[in-house]
Amino acid sequence: MKKHFLKATALVSVLGLALQVPAQDTVKVGVLHSLSGTMAISETSLRDMLLFAFDQINDSGGIQVGGKSYKIDPVVVDGASNWPLFAEKAKELLEQDHVAVVFGCWTSVSRKSVLPVFEKDNGLLFYPVQFEGEEQSRNVVYTAEAVNQQAIPAVDYLLDQGIKKFYLLGTDYVYPRTTNLILYKYLLLHGIAPADIGGGFVKNDSGQVISAGKYVPFSYTDFQQIVADIKQFAAGGDACVINTINGDSNVPFFKEIVAAGLTPDECPVVSFSLAEDELRSIPTKNLVGELGCWSYFMSLKTPENKDFLGKWNGWLKSENYPGVVKEHRVVDSPMELSYDGAYLWKEAVEKAGSFDVDAVRKALDSGDISFNGPSGKITVQPDQYTTKNVYIGTTLANGQFEIVKQFPQVVGQPWMLKSLDAQLQAKGM
Amino acid sequence: MKFKLLFGALPAFLTVFLAVRAASAAPSAAGESASGTNVIRQELVQAILGGGGQRQALLDKIADSGSGVAAGILSAWTMQEVYLYAAPDGSTIPVTLESQQDAAGTSRAIRIDDGGFLKDASGKELRFGQSDLNAAYTNIRLRRQIQQALDTLALSAADPQARRAAAVKLGYSQKPGYVPILERRLAKERDPAVKKAIHVAIATLQLGGPSAAVQMAAVNELAALKSVGSLDTLTRLAANANNNPQLENRVKAAINSIQEHIRWVQFYGTLFHGISVGSVLLVVALGLAITFGLMGVINMAHGEMIAVGAYTTYVIQNLFGSGFAFSITLPFSIGGKAIAFGLNLPGLNASGWFYQSYFLFAIPLSFLSAALAGLLLERAIIQFLYRRPLESLLATWGVSLALQQIFRMVFGANNVQVSSPNWLLGHFSLDDVSLDYNRVFVVAFAIVIVLGTWILLSKTPLGLLIRAVMQNRDMAGCMGVRTGRVNMLTFAFGSGLAGLAGAFLSQIGNVGPSLGQTYIVDSFMTVVVGGVGNIAGTVYSALGIGTADQVLQQLTGSPVTGKIVSLVAIILFLQWKPGGLFAMRSRSLD
Amino acid sequence: MRRSFVNTESIVVLAGAIFLIVVLPCLNAFTAPQSWLHVSDFTINLYGKYLCYAMLAISVDLLWGYTGLLSLGQALFFSLGGYMMGMYLMRMIGSLGQYREPIPDFLVFLGWSNLPAIWKPFNSFAFAMMMAVLLPGGLAAVFGFLAFRSRIRGVYFAILTQALTYAACLLFFRNSLLMGGNNGFTDFKFIVGYNLNLSATQRGLYICSAVALLFVYLLCKWMTSTKFGKIQRAIRDSETRVLFSGYSTAHFKLFVFVLASLIASLGGVLYVPQVGIINPSEMAPDHSLEAVVWVAVGGRGTLIGPILGAILVNGLKSWATRAYPDMWLLFLGALFIFVTLFMPSGIIGLPGQVRALKKKIQDRGRPAPPSDLTGAAPLPQPVPANSAAAPGRNASKPG
Repeated sequence: MKKHFLKATALVSVLGLALQVPAQDTVKVGVLHSLSGTMAISETSLRDMLLFAFDQINDSGGIQVGGKSYKIDPVVVDGASNWPLFAEKAKELLEQDHVAVVFGCWTSVSRKSVLPVFEKDNGLLFYPVQFEGEEQSRNVVYTAEAVNQQAIPAVDYLLDQGIKKFYLLGTDYVYPRTTNLILYKYLLLHGIAPADIGGGFVKNDSGQVISAGKYVPFSYTDFQQIVADIKQFAAGGDACVINTINGDSNVPFFKEIVAAGLTPDECPVVSFSLAEDELRSIPTKNLVGELGCWSYFMSLKTPENKDFLGKWNGWLKSENYPGVVKEHRVVDSPMELSYDGAYLWKEAVEKAGSFDVDAVRKALDSGDISFNGPSGKITVQPDQYTTKNVYIGTTLANGQFEIVKQFPQVVGQPWMLKSLDAQLQAKGM
Repeated sequence: MKFKLLFGALPAFLTVFLAVRAASAAPSAAGESASGTNVIRQELVQAILGGGGQRQALLDKIADSGSGVAAGILSAWTMQEVYLYAAPDGSTIPVTLESQQDAAGTSRAIRIDDGGFLKDASGKELRFGQSDLNAAYTNIRLRRQIQQALDTLALSAADPQARRAAAVKLGYSQKPGYVPILERRLAKERDPAVKKAIHVAIATLQLGGPSAAVQMAAVNELAALKSVGSLDTLTRLAANANNNPQLENRVKAAINSIQEHIRWVQFYGTLFHGISVGSVLLVVALGLAITFGLMGVINMAHGEMIAVGAYTTYVIQNLFGSGFAFSITLPFSIGGKAIAFGLNLPGLNASGWFYQSYFLFAIPLSFLSAALAGLLLERAIIQFLYRRPLESLLATWGVSLALQQIFRMVFGANNVQVSSPNWLLGHFSLDDVSLDYNRVFVVAFAIVIVLGTWILLSKTPLGLLIRAVMQNRDMAGCMGVRTGRVNMLTFAFGSGLAGLAGAFLSQIGNVGPSLGQTYIVDSFMTVVVGGVGNIAGTVYSALGIGTADQVLQQLTGSPVTGKIVSLVAIILFLQWKPGGLFAMRSRSLD
Repeated sequence: MRRSFVNTESIVVLAGAIFLIVVLPCLNAFTAPQSWLHVSDFTINLYGKYLCYAMLAISVDLLWGYTGLLSLGQALFFSLGGYMMGMYLMRMIGSLGQYREPIPDFLVFLGWSNLPAIWKPFNSFAFAMMMAVLLPGGLAAVFGFLAFRSRIRGVYFAILTQALTYAACLLFFRNSLLMGGNNGFTDFKFIVGYNLNLSATQRGLYICSAVALLFVYLLCKWMTSTKFGKIQRAIRDSETRVLFSGYSTAHFKLFVFVLASLIASLGGVLYVPQVGIINPSEMAPDHSLEAVVWVAVGGRGTLIGPILGAILVNGLKSWATRAYPDMWLLFLGALFIFVTLFMPSGIIGLPGQVRALKKKIQDRGRPAPPSDLTGAAPLPQPVPANSAAAPGRNASKPG
C-alpha cells in the first residue's frame, strides 16, 4: 500500500501534477458548461445531472482502478456562453487542473472552439447534445444523437404517416443548416418533389442546392410572418414543419403557432431541439400532439428509468450544491446522455485500468464499452459515436412525451452528407 | 346558461374538454337517447381497441351519429387522455381519468363502455395517476381520422368558428363521400362565413370528379371564392389535366386569380404585422423614453426592469395556480454549514374564469413591482449620477448583470412557463388576413399606455413638475420643486412602464433571465430615432421601425436581412436628422 | 507634481514592459515545469489574450477619455481585424480540416466545391494584414466622416456605434456571408509556417502582443503630448469653443476615430491566433460595453489605466468563472457599480483620492476652502463626459 503511494507521488511529481488533494483516492473531472449568458437556460441542467452522476458513482464505491477505488472530484467552470472563454477554460482544465476527462459543451460552436485545445493537449471530451455530425475527432466521444439518430428516423415516421409536404425552419447555424440539407437530400431520395419542401432554397452558381429551409437568427422573437407563411404552405393539408430552431426562440414560435390556430392534426411540428427541459417554458396544454425525437424520454416506462428518476429526485431533495434549483425539475435526453457519458467513461477507465487518455480511448474504441442506462443500452462505437435506442414521442398537456415509436439500437453515422450525395448520384438525381 | 346545465349533466371528466369545446358538443347532447349512447360507446371501445380498416369504418359510423358523448371521448383520445387498463382477467378496458385529482395525484377512472367508474372485483373504485396507465395508441394518421370524425360531428356545432373549421378540414379530406353531408348542412346554414367555407369544401371535393363538367364548375367556383387552401389541389389538377386543354386553361386562370388574392393577403398581413411589431417596440421603449429620453439616464438595466415585470406575471400566475417556491444555496459556508434560504408561497388553486383572470391582476402588479425596483435603483445608485450621464451607463450595466444572475438564482437558469389566458389565445380572420388576439391586444395596450403617459405628463400637476425638472433641474430646484423626489417618481414611473412591457411580453415570448437583453438595443434605437426627450417621436419611430422591419422581411424573404437593412437605414437616417425625428430645440451650446 | 507623475509613469511603464516582454517569456521558456518560478504555457496564453484586450481598451480610451467620444462599437473593429487574420489562418489549414479538402470545412458543408473569389487572396499573409488595416480603417473613415459631418456626438454617437456593431454582428451570423456564420473560424493549425500548437509559437505570439502594446502605448503617449493631443482634449472639454477658435473639429475627430479603429484591429489580429477562434459574438454590443468598463475601472484619460483595467477585470473574470461559477456575475456587476460611484477616476485615480481624503481629514474643523478645490483635485481627468453626453442639458455647467 505504502509502496503504491510512493509510486503515485513520484509519478505525480514527474508529470508535474500539482494536485492538492491526496492523489491516491480522487480523480479530477472537468465540467465545462455555460452557467451564465444565453446558453445557461439549457446547459445548467447538464451540470446538475453530472453532479448527480458523480455523487452516485462516489456513493457506490467510486471508480476501481488497479485495485483501488477513486472518488470523482468535479471541477466545475462556467463557459459563460462566450466561445473564446470556452477555449480558455478547456485549456485551464487540461493544463492547470490536469483533469482526466471533461464533460461539456452544448452548441456546435462551443465544441468547435474547444476541439483544437483537446487535440493539442490530448484530452477527452464527452459531448451529449444532438448535433450535425460531420466531424470525427479522436478526442471526443459523441454520446449525442447524430442526424441519423434523430432527424432521419423522425422523417421516416412522418413519411410513413402519409405526410407529403415538409416545411424546413431553423436557427441560422451549423446544426440546422446541415440537418436541413441532409433532410432535403433524403426527401428527394424518397420521392418528395422540391416544390413540396418549404422554406426556400439557395443555389450555387452551378444550380446545385446548397441550403434548404428558412432561417432565423438566435433569440429571434417575432414569428408572425413565418407562421403566416407556414399556414399558406399547409393550407392544402398533409404538411408538417421540421423545426430545428434552437432553444429559446421556440417559445415565441410555439406561442405564435397556438395563437394562429395551427393545430397538430392540420400540420404537426416535429422539433429536434425541444426536449422536456425546454418544454417547461412553453404552455403545452395547447400543443398536445406535436412531435419530438430523442434517444430518451422521461416518460419511458422501463424499470431502469423509474429507478433512475427516483434516485434523481431523492438527490435533488438532499443536495446542497450552490446554483442547483430543486423545484419543478425534469430530465431530458441531453441530461440523460450526460449521465450515460459519466458511466461509459467509468466503464472504460475500469477496463483500461488507468486514467490515461490513450489507454481509456483504446478501451472505448474496442466497441465493448456499453452501459444499460435509463434509455436502454448505449454502446460506444469504434469511431466514438454511440449506438443507442431512438424514440419518437408526441407532446402531452403535462409537458411530457407519449412514446409512439421506437427504433432500437440505431448506429450513429458521422458522415451523412457524403453518403446521401453518393446515393443521389447513383439514382441519377 | 347552456354551459352550466352541461356542467351538471355530464361526468366531471368532461369539464376541462367542455371549457374549450363546450359549444361544439352542446346541441347534439340534448337529444341523445340512453340506448343510442350505449351503442356508440360499444363502437368507441371497438375503435380504440381494434385496428386498421375496421377502425375507419367505425369512426365514420360514429361521426354520422352526431353524438356528444362520442365527441368528448374522441377528443380525449387525440389528447392522449384515453388510457388502457389491463384487467386481471386479461382483457383491456379503455378508460378516461376524472379531472379531479386527490393529494397523491391520482383520480378515478371512467369506463368508456358504460360511462361508470372502474371498479375492482370487490367493487372498490380504482384510482390511477397519469403515468400509471398507458395511453391508447394514436399516430398522425389515426389522429387525422379521429379528427375527421370530430369535424363531421362539429359540422353541426353551435359555434360558427368550429363549423367553419370543420368544413375546411372536410374539404381537404379528398373523400367525395363528404359532399352529401356538406350539402345537407349547407341547406341549413345561415352564417355567411361558414357558408363560404362549405362552398369551398364542396368545390374542392368535386375537383376530383366525377365528370369534367363538375370539375369545371368546381374550378370556377373556387376561382370566384378565391380559396387559398385549394391552391395545391388546383396545381395538381393543372399538372394532370393536359388531355383537356379547356379545363387546363380554366385551372390556370383560377390559380392566377388566387395567387393575386394571396399577394393582397400578404400585403395587408404585413401591414398588420408591422403595426403589431411597432406596438411591441413602443410598449418596450416607452419606459426608456422616460428614463433615458426625459431624464438622460442611459439605463442599461431597462431590459431587466422588463424582466421584473415578466417574472411578476409568472409569480402571479403561479399564485393563482399551485403556488410559488424557491430556494437558494450560497457558495459560501459559515462554520461548515452551507447558507441556504428560500420562500414558499401557497397558491389559490384557482380554475376556470378566475384562473383565466390572473393576467388582469398581473398587469397592475407588474407595473408596481418594476416601479418599486426602479425606485430602489434610483435611490441607491442613479441619484448620484445625474451629472454624469455616460457613467450611469456603466453603473446600470453592472445592475443589469447582477439582476440577471439574481433571476437565475431565484427562478432557475431555464425559461419559465407563462401560459396565456384563453381570451388572449386564438385569432380571427378578415378575408384570409389572420389577426391574432394577442397582437390586437398589444395594439390596444400600446394606445392605452401612451394615452396614460401623455395625460400624466401634460395634464396633471405631477406632469408639470416632471417637465420642469427634466428641462432644467437646477432652475426647478431654485423655484422650490423638490427635484430629488420628482426624479425618484419619474424614474419609478419609467421603470413601471417597462414592467408593463414585461407583462405583455410574457404572453408572446420567453420569460427568462436574459429576456431584457433581447430588447435593450432595439429600445435605445427606437428612442434615439424618435428624438431624445420626445414621447411623440418614440411613438412614430416605433411604428415606423416596426413596419419597415416587417416589409423588408417580406421583400427579402429573410428575417435577418430585414433587420440588418433597417439598422443601416437607421444609421443613415440619423446622419440626415442627427436629433432624431423630433429634435429637441435648445439654445444651450453643449 | 505633474512632472513627478510623468516620471513615476515612465518608471512604471519601463518596469512593466520589461516584466511582460522579457521576464514572463523567459520564466516560461527557461525554467523547469515543476519550479515555483515557472510560468505555464496556459498563463502565457492567458496574458497574451489580456494584452490584446488592453489594446482594445486603449482604443476606447483614446476616443472616450481623450476626445470625449464614447464609442460602443470598438469591438467591431477588433473583430474585423480578427476576421482578416482568421481568413488567413483558415487558408493555412490546407487539407487538414475534417473533410480533408483544400477549402475550409464550413464551405464544404455549405455545398461549395471550390474557393469563392473573396477568399482567394487570403493565402497571402501580407494581403490579410493589409486588409486588417484597410477594412476597419475604411469602415471607420466612412462612418466617422458621415457621423462627424452631421455633428453627431454624445449619446447619439454611442448609440449609433452600437447600432453599427449590432448590424455587423447580425450580418456575420448569416451563413450566406461565407464567413463561417455562428461558428466563425476555428481549428487553426499554422501561422506563417509555424505550428500554432507549439508552445514556442504561442510564446512568440505573446511577445508580439506585448511589444505591440508597448508600441501602441508609446505612440499614443507621444500623440497626446503634442499640440494635437491638446486640441483633442479641448474638443473633449468644449467642442464648440474649439470650433469657434477656427479648428475643424470634425477632421480631428475623424483622425482619432480611424486611429482608434486601427489600434483595435491590431489587438484583434493578435488575439485570434492566441485564443484559436473568432466568431460574430465577439461583435455583440455587450463586448464593446465591456471594453468601456475596463477603461472605467482602470482610469480613463490615462494610458496606463485601460491596460490595468483590461488585465484586472479579465483576470477577475477568469478566476471567478472557476471559483464561483454561479455567482461571479454578481461580483462583476457590483464591481462596476462600486467603481462608478466611488472611484470616478478608476484605479489610477485611487492614490489621488486617498490623498484628497487625507487632506480632508486633516482639514476637518477648518472652514473648507472655496470652490478652487475642484480645480486642484488630483484626479487626472475630472469627469469630462457630461459635457459631451447630455443633449441640451447641463447648460449651467461651469465651462
